[in-house]
Amino acid sequence: MKQYVLRRVALAVPTLFLVSVIVFAMMRLMPGDVATRMVEGHAYAPTLEALRKDLGLDRPVHVQYLEWVGAIVLKGDFGRSYWTRQPIWEEFVRRFPVTLELAALTILISVVIGIAVGIVSAMRQDTPADYIGRVGAILALSVPYFGLAVLVVVLPSIYFRWTPVWTYVPLTTDPVANLKIMIVPALVFGVTRAGPIMRIMRSALLDVLRQDYIRTAWSKGLGERTIVLRHGLKNAMIPVITLIGLQTPLYIGGSVIIEAIFRLPGVGHFFFEALTRLDYPVVQSVNLIVAAMVVGLNLLVDLAYAFLDPRIRYR
Amino acid sequence: MARPIALGISLLAVMLCAMPDPALAQQPRRGGVLRIAEREAPGLDPHLTVSFLSHSYISLAYSQLVRFPNGPEQKHPADFSILPDLAEKWEYKTPTSLVFTLRKGVKFHNKPPVNGREVTAEDVRYSLERFRAKSGFRSRFDAVQVIEAPDRYTVRITLKEPFAPFLNHLANPTFTAILPREAEEKFKDFNHPDAVIGTGPFILRSYDKGVKVVFERNPDYYMKGLPHLDGVVIEIAPDTQTRLSLLRAGKVEMAHVWGWLSPEEARGVKQTNPEMVATPYKVIGVGHIYMRTDQPPFNDVRVRRAVSLAIDRKGWNDALLFGEGCVDSGPVPCAMTDWKLDASKMDPAKTKTLVGYDPAEAKRLLAQAGHPKGFTTPMFHWPGYVSPWRSYYELAAEALGKIGITVELKPEEYGKYISTTYLGKFEKMAMGPSTPFTEVDDFLYGTHFPEQPNNRSSVADAELSKLLIAQRRELDPKKRKEIVDDIQRYLADKQYYVYVPQWPQYVAHPPYVKGFKHHDGYGLGLRLMYTWLDK
Repeated sequence: MKQYVLRRVALAVPTLFLVSVIVFAMMRLMPGDVATRMVEGHAYAPTLEALRKDLGLDRPVHVQYLEWVGAIVLKGDFGRSYWTRQPIWEEFVRRFPVTLELAALTILISVVIGIAVGIVSAMRQDTPADYIGRVGAILALSVPYFGLAVLVVVLPSIYFRWTPVWTYVPLTTDPVANLKIMIVPALVFGVTRAGPIMRIMRSALLDVLRQDYIRTAWSKGLGERTIVLRHGLKNAMIPVITLIGLQTPLYIGGSVIIEAIFRLPGVGHFFFEALTRLDYPVVQSVNLIVAAMVVGLNLLVDLAYAFLDPRIRYR
Repeated sequence: MARPIALGISLLAVMLCAMPDPALAQQPRRGGVLRIAEREAPGLDPHLTVSFLSHSYISLAYSQLVRFPNGPEQKHPADFSILPDLAEKWEYKTPTSLVFTLRKGVKFHNKPPVNGREVTAEDVRYSLERFRAKSGFRSRFDAVQVIEAPDRYTVRITLKEPFAPFLNHLANPTFTAILPREAEEKFKDFNHPDAVIGTGPFILRSYDKGVKVVFERNPDYYMKGLPHLDGVVIEIAPDTQTRLSLLRAGKVEMAHVWGWLSPEEARGVKQTNPEMVATPYKVIGVGHIYMRTDQPPFNDVRVRRAVSLAIDRKGWNDALLFGEGCVDSGPVPCAMTDWKLDASKMDPAKTKTLVGYDPAEAKRLLAQAGHPKGFTTPMFHWPGYVSPWRSYYELAAEALGKIGITVELKPEEYGKYISTTYLGKFEKMAMGPSTPFTEVDDFLYGTHFPEQPNNRSSVADAELSKLLIAQRRELDPKKRKEIVDDIQRYLADKQYYVYVPQWPQYVAHPPYVKGFKHHDGYGLGLRLMYTWLDK
């Protein structure tokens, strides 16, 4: 087990290296140039050349890359924003709890809805309850979360002069007020993410319920609840857990728009502003941090398999 | 029979006169907090950013030497007459020597490290020197030779030559906030919220990044009894639809830092919230097609006149702007009424190509210029400008197509556009709005004098240049206006730029927001100084 974890951690290094190269290259390939944009009105430096030198953009690209990665690896320094000159790591740490809370609530909502509806659909296959669940899942899959978010914000303001957008309050300051602020964006995001979970849950459970050991359980005279929840669900959860793991980057990526619409001061908002301003170090470092987190999370998902199915062993 | 009617009318008139004007009857009330939904400003240092958002935020906290009129002081939104601010008076000792006398006893906000000390001439000198050294707008001070503080309350500015726009630049809140040196020494610059220490009507109390900026009333503001509000909160909301929803839901009083809405947005808000006050204003700026007038084919005035005659400005205004725009829109913007010479007051033969529509004549001019079958030209532009700009590009291309000029629309990424096309570095033709300046010099000298960055059409006209310099050097406003009129007459049939209708902007807020008057300067603090809440 320990060896397995170590091997996985070692494997994460080339993954993160590739991510860093891709993100670095993509920022340079994007149309426009951060220096020309910053020097508009000469607010940051007297000339374009002076600004390029100040930002280190006058050096060869590979040197810029090595400096960025080197500072992270050797000093844990993720750099500073070109525009605000603030340390990126500090800003990330300040904003991360907002995004983490949004992601946690979103996962909770999508898992609860997805699994519950999936179980009901599987247990009541081809009944009206199953049809409603499946239509709901398709609907959740096909409605873009950002479109739903705009509708949820705009429509009540037009028809009821009310909108579910408030001034953000941290969880530690006022948990009730915080939950009131977070619940609507988490619901919007969570409901649209519940669709795939429901579909996988349903098909996995149907598959498991047709297995021999389940038939044996029925023949032993066990109750439906015991068979489904104790014997069927645990095995059917493996693909669902995999899916949740795979969806995690989407929770972070989706927060970019959800946070802008619902006025949440999280990492997504930070990333979005940096991207629109071509703030290279912010986009690169935030991407790398998030990629590292996704790699770590996938490792946790893999380890969860062993808990759910003891037959899975790590070598 | 006639006498009783006349008597009745007279009585009615007397009664009407005796009735109090509702506006006058209402006395401003102290208290309340005004909430504004707006995007986050990129920084708070007045000299390290050129963003209007930054300058609007911090204008609540800072004062200048002189200022523009606001609220009840202003005659109209583009009233750029000069009023005392930290300087109680000023005098031209010679045409190049300007002496300001400061108010005594004006104190900085009571925040460390400044702790409410008095403003002195040295603070003014330091701030103006910092502006000259660091601001993106520092070319406004090119005429300045030396800034001195001979005593505690006197500032003397010596200019290299007479420069009429100088006081306007000093009054513009985007340029010359008076700052305390100690704050820069402690915080390195003025970007830190704790470093925002001014003498303005509001004190920046807290800034929760990405969430809100809280300003409180300055109890020691030098204008006694002002501001009326207890505070102002800027609720940071990056998304336009969210800001509008917050306005509709009554969670903010304004959905833009200046209360602006586009005509379409204003109509939508009036439908859902009929009680909302939505007032149209002309935007101070121009929309124009600019051309490389130093290269063929646009070095031929007949071609430029043809381009202008192809634009049906009235139809454009009716179709896109609900008839609320302004068709006689350049070179001096419609809103700048103190300097504008209307086309109707000029020789119709000359203004025909400035504001007229005559596609047949346009084709004839093109044929005369050697383009009987027209020609093809690119039109560089940035598609990201707010509504109605995307339609503007398409409408212009369609209009020119009708006289045989095939326009290839060339959208550009903002960074490229603003650093090349907007500065006149393009081929043949481009289109876009101008910056909304507060000084007429920027619309004339800035866009027509050789080598100026905003001379997008590469104009080099010796006769015009003489007039442009003359208006800058004339300190007598009346005489200067005559020269500015001459420039407008001269430019009427030159078509160095082809102007398209100017769009209106609405200022919208609930009816209980009183005393908020739109002003075309960049400051928000002075507008809010006279604002009060009737609830």
